[in-house]
Amino acid sequence: MHALEGVRLIDFGQYLAGPFGPMVIGDLGADVIKVEPVTGDGMRFANQPFFGCQRGKRDIAIDLKSERGHEIALQLVEHADIVHHNMTAGVAVRLGIGYEDCKRVNEDIVYCNTWAYGLEGPLARFGGLDPLYQATAGLEYEQGPVREGNVPNYLRFGMTDTANAMLSVVGCLAALYHQRVTGVGQELWTSLLDGGSMFASDALLVDGEAVPRPRLDKAQTGMDALYRLYETQEGWIQIAAIEDAHWAGLCGALSLPELVDDPRFATRAARAEHRQQLEALLIPRFATRTAIQWTRALDTAGVPNEIAFDSRAGELQHFDADNERLGLVAEYDHPLLGRMRQYGALIDFSETPGLIHGPPPLVGEHTVEILEWLGYAQAEMDELKSQGVVYWPDDDYRWNV
Amino acid sequence: MPGALDGVRVLDLSWGIAGPLGVLLLAEQGADVIKVEPPGGDPFRDYSGYAVWNRSRRSVTVDLKQPAGADAFRRLATDADVVVETFRPGVTDRLGIGFDALHELNPRLVYCSCPGYPEGHRFAQRPGYDALVQASSGQQWEQPGWRPGPIFLHMPMPSMGAMFLVPTGILSALIARETTGRGQHVRTSLFQGALLYTTQIWTWVPGADSAFYGTMAKSYPPGVHQEMIFEVAGSEYVHASIMSGLAPVKTQDAILGLPDPSDPEKYMMLSPEERAELTPKRRAAYKLRKRDELIAEFRENNHAIEAIESMEYALGAKGEPHPQLVANQMIATVDDPVLGHTTQVGVPIHLAGTPGAIRGPRPEPGEHNDEIFGELGYTPDEIAAFSGVN
Repeated sequence: MHALEGVRLIDFGQYLAGPFGPMVIGDLGADVIKVEPVTGDGMRFANQPFFGCQRGKRDIAIDLKSERGHEIALQLVEHADIVHHNMTAGVAVRLGIGYEDCKRVNEDIVYCNTWAYGLEGPLARFGGLDPLYQATAGLEYEQGPVREGNVPNYLRFGMTDTANAMLSVVGCLAALYHQRVTGVGQELWTSLLDGGSMFASDALLVDGEAVPRPRLDKAQTGMDALYRLYETQEGWIQIAAIEDAHWAGLCGALSLPELVDDPRFATRAARAEHRQQLEALLIPRFATRTAIQWTRALDTAGVPNEIAFDSRAGELQHFDADNERLGLVAEYDHPLLGRMRQYGALIDFSETPGLIHGPPPLVGEHTVEILEWLGYAQAEMDELKSQGVVYWPDDDYRWNV
Repeated sequence: MPGALDGVRVLDLSWGIAGPLGVLLLAEQGADVIKVEPPGGDPFRDYSGYAVWNRSRRSVTVDLKQPAGADAFRRLATDADVVVETFRPGVTDRLGIGFDALHELNPRLVYCSCPGYPEGHRFAQRPGYDALVQASSGQQWEQPGWRPGPIFLHMPMPSMGAMFLVPTGILSALIARETTGRGQHVRTSLFQGALLYTTQIWTWVPGADSAFYGTMAKSYPPGVHQEMIFEVAGSEYVHASIMSGLAPVKTQDAILGLPDPSDPEKYMMLSPEERAELTPKRRAAYKLRKRDELIAEFRENNHAIEAIESMEYALGAKGEPHPQLVANQMIATVDDPVLGHTTQVGVPIHLAGTPGAIRGPRPEPGEHNDEIFGELGYTPDEIAAFSGVN
């Protein structure tokens, strides 16, 4: 048995923040059916981000605006545990797949909408992309860092898409657990705005005044002389000399024993206060040997450190033998692109493992299989396809992925 | 109002960010969380986010290195649904509170481990501070910054990934338990948390052409989203969105008064050369505008845009908090036992049927020793001995 085996989720989402949550739930063993417009998900053009949010789903392409397409959608909902999407305000209701519509055909359904801003409020009508919510959470401000005179720096990991999606995963699973215990379903929502704010959840006001928190330096190396990157003769090394014992070990490894008891650096507070003086001593030392030499010396001295690893856009992690053996890498064949690797299981279960079903689907790749399961005959399916109500790949497939 | 996770008891042995914050998402949906700290308290209490990440739970202190302390913890675990721990692999086994020992006592227990690296990985016994995992995972090399080389990520990204994986794994195991009747060992790590944020940028396809990797590849100068950051009057910044899901009344360039307004909705599709031609004109136009007025005008014309400021600003440090965070009930006031009257982020998962809620400030270490261990029949003297309180 897989962790979420027997759970079925209908994913009406497009782009990234909507679809990623269903992908994560699918990786845990649930049956995820992506309901894609017959015109294709609006994110397919972007390749990599699209693939990162779609693997393992079964895909049925339907025109939800047509009466018969809508009918198929509700048939799917009838057989589901969770409905999930990221449509903007009012769209799902207009399409007849709002919570009340779904509840009518499946009373115990868990229904999740991931918004850009929120359910209601001054900006609720807006959609939006990840950068807006990196801005509101201060990520770009702190990463610049702007207070040191730098330009704000966008983080290129799709941060708030992922945060919104993961909040929706936790919310859907909490609601599903509650449903399994009590028999009662419910509606829930999350947003990019709220997801972003989790990343800066260490920000705190006391009596309305900001409380200081760790800040990045102008050169974007780290938070402190002993918690930062140093450039070496070859490569960069990250150190985390947090404890007093680490400090003594660092001074020994760098052949700077006189610094251990130097009053400027004798305590943690003193080292923080004299950060620049300390960095001025450490920077030239680190430049005298390579990162490999330093990591061995620091390991021997018991100083936490890692070489900053250039994975060549992930390739070297995807082919790391430990990662492969531990299931952290998944490989499958994509019908158009061939061999493909993405990360594998992010959570390991001793009794009910997850299940990575396969590559991101083509538009309508499973339309026929799903319609057959719903009881449609071939003639009916052909008719629906010719009317543009449904689509499955044929000689006319017009997407690159 | 009932919570979705009413009746679920969680013992939280975790330190740092990922464990406490992951557990917070469960606590504020109704789980009964008991933080189990060493005598003297969690060594991370001085961290800036501690008061937020550790709220909504009770606290006991236990010296797990004493046989009586480990025994008291095992008695607590006998009636618990979930244990969460973030030690290096092998540590809890040595203390006699590992998965195998507790599973035998309580087969329904879900036991979640979140160390720096997965058990069995050659890095498993290396230190797992967040920045070290940023370095070893390759994240630091993925971020383009203002100089060549790896860039330190201010936001603790591996921890902020793992903090979502912890409650996801626990809830999946609780749902499976409704079918199997059994708990199990759920394992994730900061390293896996780092991988979570590579989902949009790390798909390996040997047969793909360069266009496949084009749109979102790491590049210098940094890509299309960075290019939508603009300086406005007074050395302030805004981030304009390429799309808002709404039909624009005027285009962004028309609002800026550019003589030949192109359609920025298509900006993402322009070639780098075309963008390079357009961008300087835009940058000059933005610099003439006052930030808050420009934001208002963009929104009136159905364009999404935000000021680039700190999270403290969004919480209201310099004036009004962000109006949509207010509408989302994400600006919370909490009376903290140490700090006093605080403003913090609220509950980010909005369940309509069983709304979440902050269930009190972070506890003092051992604040609930007598209450919780008293229920198990321990005398005050016994409690004092294993909890390190004299």
